[in-house]
Amino acid sequence: MHEVMIWSISWKNVWRNKIRSLVVIIAVTLGIICGVLLVAIMEGWTEQRLHDAIYNEVSHIQIHNADYLKNEEILLTVKDTSQMIRSIEQIPGLNGWVKRTRMIAMANTPWANTGIIIYGIDPEKEKKITEIYKKIVPGGGEYLNKQKSGNILIGDKTAELLKLKQYIVTQEVLDKLKAENIPDDIILILGKLKDTRFRSPKEFREALKSELNTKELNTYGNKILENALDYRIKNKVQITLSDISGNPVQGTFRVGGIYKTTNGGFDQAAVFVNSIELEDLYGGSTVLVHEIAVLLNDIENVDSVKEKLTGISTGNTISTWKELAPDAAMMNDYMIMYYFLFIGIVLFALAFGIINTMMMTILERTKELGMLMAIGMNRRRVFSMIMLETIFLTMVGAVAGMLSGWLIVEALGKSGIHFSSWGEGFEAIGFAARVYPVITPSFFLIIIVMVVFTAVVSSVWPARKALKLIPVEALRTE
Amino acid sequence: MKVIDIRNVHKVYDETKIAVRAVDGVTLNFAEAEFAAIVGPSGSGKTTLLNLIGGLDIPTSGDIFIDGTNLSKLKSSELIDFRLNNIGFVFQSYNLIPVLTAKENVEFIMSLQKWPKVERDKRTMELLAAIGLNDRVNSRPSQMSGGQQQRVAVARALASRPKFVLADEPTANLDSKSAATLLEIMEKLNHEEKITFIFSTHDARVVKMAHRVITLEDGKVVSDEVRE
Repeated sequence: MHEVMIWSISWKNVWRNKIRSLVVIIAVTLGIICGVLLVAIMEGWTEQRLHDAIYNEVSHIQIHNADYLKNEEILLTVKDTSQMIRSIEQIPGLNGWVKRTRMIAMANTPWANTGIIIYGIDPEKEKKITEIYKKIVPGGGEYLNKQKSGNILIGDKTAELLKLKQYIVTQEVLDKLKAENIPDDIILILGKLKDTRFRSPKEFREALKSELNTKELNTYGNKILENALDYRIKNKVQITLSDISGNPVQGTFRVGGIYKTTNGGFDQAAVFVNSIELEDLYGGSTVLVHEIAVLLNDIENVDSVKEKLTGISTGNTISTWKELAPDAAMMNDYMIMYYFLFIGIVLFALAFGIINTMMMTILERTKELGMLMAIGMNRRRVFSMIMLETIFLTMVGAVAGMLSGWLIVEALGKSGIHFSSWGEGFEAIGFAARVYPVITPSFFLIIIVMVVFTAVVSSVWPARKALKLIPVEALRTE
Repeated sequence: MKVIDIRNVHKVYDETKIAVRAVDGVTLNFAEAEFAAIVGPSGSGKTTLLNLIGGLDIPTSGDIFIDGTNLSKLKSSELIDFRLNNIGFVFQSYNLIPVLTAKENVEFIMSLQKWPKVERDKRTMELLAAIGLNDRVNSRPSQMSGGQQQRVAVARALASRPKFVLADEPTANLDSKSAATLLEIMEKLNHEEKITFIFSTHDARVVKMAHRVITLEDGKVVSDEVRE
């Protein structure tokens, strides 16, 4: 209670020179807002990458024949599949599992070809484990169905490589654009491209570039691209792979659907067909199981489940999501380090401003500090007063920064931030072009601890300067 | 009973170059409830002597005993605590804490001494009433005149009932009316609280009211007059 007076003086001292204090407070506020935003974007990406890696790509656990991982040969299937499945079904907290055929293949269209990984799946069961069925693009057909439809589900990137992602400006497209308030002069210019088919986004962008200026392209380009996009659904794709005897075989599927995840690399490689239809292609009497994917209710149980399955399995390799998607695991594990790094850099820079302000304060108040020491304020209390003053000064800025940062993150968390210019680059490494920033309460706790630490460290030099004052000399200063 | 016992105290500045003997062999003592003025021309050593008595400066030689405690033997940190618990200070330029109100300034030392809040409040209000500023309780120094600020400074010095109060030229910055009011208040409190007041001054009005007048010249006591 008796120290309340010191707290009170320190708080009031912060506001003695309002302009000077506000400069520091605004600097801290802006620094913290930047730190919060930067970390919220990183956290948003990390959460998205983690979610997408698990729910689109690798699940929590995958089981393969140990040799298959070294040499992806058709006959290297999961050993003792039935026994493995029985063991999986006994896992407490199991969400679901699927078995897949997985083969390296070549996909061809009359215009292009590309290497792919073809998965033979049970479409309905797969829905419980992955969210690919939710990722069908508008105008991109539909997810696979149970029936033998002869359909293949390919990624947006594969569609682009196989020149199945085309652009055409039809009268219908022009009408749609007009309805979306695209100016008449732009519609008129686009009329020149009417009914011309462009077989890649690059070709279409170049055509637009030759007709529209940079400003028009930046303003309306994305809208025109979206409306003119025409996936060639039901187009035939020829698949070439090795049958169980090692001989190349070919089969034809029709594009039933096109999906798009946030990972361009995954979209470029993974295509899905009904496992029974794939079996018809590679031959044999049974569906080959190269991969079993397991989804748990709680990600925290992954290691214990791996340990359990490893104990009962011989000849198979049990891999967790951390091993299958090491990029996502690394981001997740090192996020706390990023927090410290970003905020540490911001606060390190701000510390110099804080020290400078406090040094000026001490110089201005030499006589007053001399008086306080003369009438009996001991060194500990003088030190506390200056330290508290620094903490208050910094904390006001930090609280304002955290509050503003949180409000900005809340607003951006709803709409997301679209990095359209770098979207393709981000998606190539598994990050969405549109990020939804998120911030966790623990981050604010870290900021508070780091701000207090910075304030205490920043106060040491000015406080030492104050403690070195000799009261009788300080009292003589004007 | 001796409150302050000064024994052959010297204070020499710049001993290695040209030695300035600010205080030169002063021997004095002060009893409880004295109202004493130290006078003398500028440079006679008044302020230095007050600083030595107040433990703000250390004598080059000699001893100063306050209630039997030799100030020269105390460490710097012990001196701060000693000043807090035994000495009240009034400075020429008031030196109130600008961010605190009159009431908070008066209770500041009691707060450092960890007085209970109830007692602190009671004592503060008593003193503010005694100095005639109970209507300026919540005024900050910048909202008060020089005379009012100096009265608050006197109340602050007396608040924790120190053994004595040292006042360095307390009326130097005040107009004659404010100075007269301040002196009346100081004399009244000296009488009521039985606290020793020692002040250095040039001011003839202060000298006139003092019960004892010590004259310094070139750091030496040249007269020590006690009045009835």
